Amino acid sequence: MSLVVQVIKPEGILDGTKTDQFRQEINDSVNTGANAILVDFSNVTFMDSSGLGALVLSLKTIRNANAKLFICSINEQIKMLFELTSMDRVFEIFSSLEEFEQKVAKLS
Amino acid sequence: MNVLKKIQFKVDSNLQELESVLSQFNQIYDDFIPNQDWLKCKLALAEGFTNAVRHAHKELSTEIQVTIEAVLRSTTLEIYIWDLGNPFDLNQYIKEQSNNNHHWLGSGKGVAILTQIADRLEYKHIEEKGNCLLIVKEFSQGER
Repeated sequence: MSLVVQVIKPEGILDGTKTDQFRQEINDSVNTGANAILVDFSNVTFMDSSGLGALVLSLKTIRNANAKLFICSINEQIKMLFELTSMDRVFEIFSSLEEFEQKVAKLS
Repeated sequence: MNVLKKIQFKVDSNLQELESVLSQFNQIYDDFIPNQDWLKCKLALAEGFTNAVRHAHKELSTEIQVTIEAVLRSTTLEIYIWDLGNPFDLNQYIKEQSNNNHHWLGSGKGVAILTQIADRLEYKHIEEKGNCLLIVKEFSQGER
């Protein structure tokens, strides 16, 4: 199966004030026919439990659409949050966009 | 243990204030705090603050402020988050939650994160002062 990758790049603090917009972007990506969604965290400085909750709900949406979720470029704080909640075992995480392109798919 | 540093600030009951809360909290930072512990303290503060706004101050005006204090000692960082909402039995809530499985769906997992991060977690009603959420983080020894 060839992957049609849509990249989503949230910015700043991913908390309860941004979750609606974030989930909307995920829904839009799924609806446009992407079967792989890469959330690039390089511009996210901080994430709390609400941001994480939105990401988990997004994973559900994406799986229900038979698509895949990938994550890249998380900082130390987000890595800590994933580990604390054992979400590092649930998400497919790449250190950078380059690593994602090498291992999964080239972005057009 | 002696107090090395102490800060106090007030912010409006608005989730948009989180950025300001985190940046003002940076004033308590000191080089000797292990990085993982510092990141956990910031997360605990964020969870405590957003809980105060979402739950304790739910029915109140956004102008009712949340007061945040932090006390740095050589082995611990204490965070105090004051709200003016109704008293709430946090221990009972934690007990009930621990009977549920954690699926990390949607919201409501802030308290689970707090219990994991804090070495001591208390929520007390103090007459005429409101409620205080106390989070105490002991610094890990290995990284120092």
